[in-house]
Amino acid sequence: MIDVADLLQEGQRLPGNYFATNAYIKGDFESGLIENRRGDRLLALPETLIQAIYAGLEKETGQAAGAVLFNCGRWWGKNFYARFVEEVSDYYAKTLAEMEMVELLQCLKQCWKIHGWGTFDLDVSYYQQGFLVAKIKNSPFAQEAPQGNKPACFLEAGILSAFFSQLTGRQLHCIQTSCESLGADCNNFVLGLPQRLKVAEAWLEEEQDHETILERLCKSKPSAGS
Amino acid sequence: MHSEIKTLLYEAEEHYLKPAEIETFKHCASFLAQRLETYELLRNQEIAIFQPVADQLLERFPQEKQETLERALKHWLSVLRYCAMAMLLNNQEFLQRRILEWLTDMVQAHQTQEIESALYQLLQKQLKELFTEQQLALVQPFLERAEMTLLRSSALAQL
Repeated sequence: MIDVADLLQEGQRLPGNYFATNAYIKGDFESGLIENRRGDRLLALPETLIQAIYAGLEKETGQAAGAVLFNCGRWWGKNFYARFVEEVSDYYAKTLAEMEMVELLQCLKQCWKIHGWGTFDLDVSYYQQGFLVAKIKNSPFAQEAPQGNKPACFLEAGILSAFFSQLTGRQLHCIQTSCESLGADCNNFVLGLPQRLKVAEAWLEEEQDHETILERLCKSKPSAGS
Repeated sequence: MHSEIKTLLYEAEEHYLKPAEIETFKHCASFLAQRLETYELLRNQEIAIFQPVADQLLERFPQEKQETLERALKHWLSVLRYCAMAMLLNNQEFLQRRILEWLTDMVQAHQTQEIESALYQLLQKQLKELFTEQQLALVQPFLERAEMTLLRSSALAQL
């Protein structure tokens, strides 16, 4: 016997999409402020600013620009994770650990989309081999990236590395293996333990494609203890 | 808010509404009253609608874990709540963004389409018993949209 009244007992709430368009972001024309539904301030990143960050870093730090952006991304990701956890667990009235994987992923996808960072998807097919693949499409960071011959979304790689490190409780590194700025249909990011991803740096230098890098990574032997 | 009323408000800026516009307004107002009445019924009858559905679902899938059936019931309890509000707002996008986008992946991941399809049929049967045809016609487009998005598109994706 299923008692529907009992199903509805837990506070009568049946929460839907917290990050829904028209619900999550609110703007006020008079004050010129944008806020999320909890009243936390949001910052708009105009295209010009993103372009200027790329150009400024390139000029100031040269080849280190990627590493600087990656580290900025890690800081961002760390704070983003803390806010994400707080908002999601408050709204759904459960901790992240109590959430089902699909529910958590759906939150992250919707959150990513509503912030205008493109669409996010996670491929867990390589989990057994020790890797996660994040796929991001329509990224504004790729769109504004300077033309080069290597993937350029270091900021997102940093965010993902920090986010998934905190989520899984293990230090994970992240490399980008395909980039919309190079004509790819999506930005692929591979997440894994730093010592296992290290070999891929050379393959990126050789401009190998995502599939080749992932195949080689999966074949590579994990060193002891990883 | 209803888009027709919104348009009238914008257009009424510097003149009284014309007779035809007043007719449109009256029509919208009476439509809104009907919708509100149906909304109240759906709200007040929530358990009366779903308890027989739950009982029949249990009979139909005796081997299934109770937890799975409960999850499917919760999905449709919330779909009907959002359908009711979307009906009141006369806004399909509200339904799509607030719940359907959210649930589509969940239904697919749990592979409960068969149970949820049966649940949808039982829900339709129950609504037909409790509501007049006119009331049903107001909420039906939203329920159909939910069924199409959650059950049919995922069934196609599985092929």
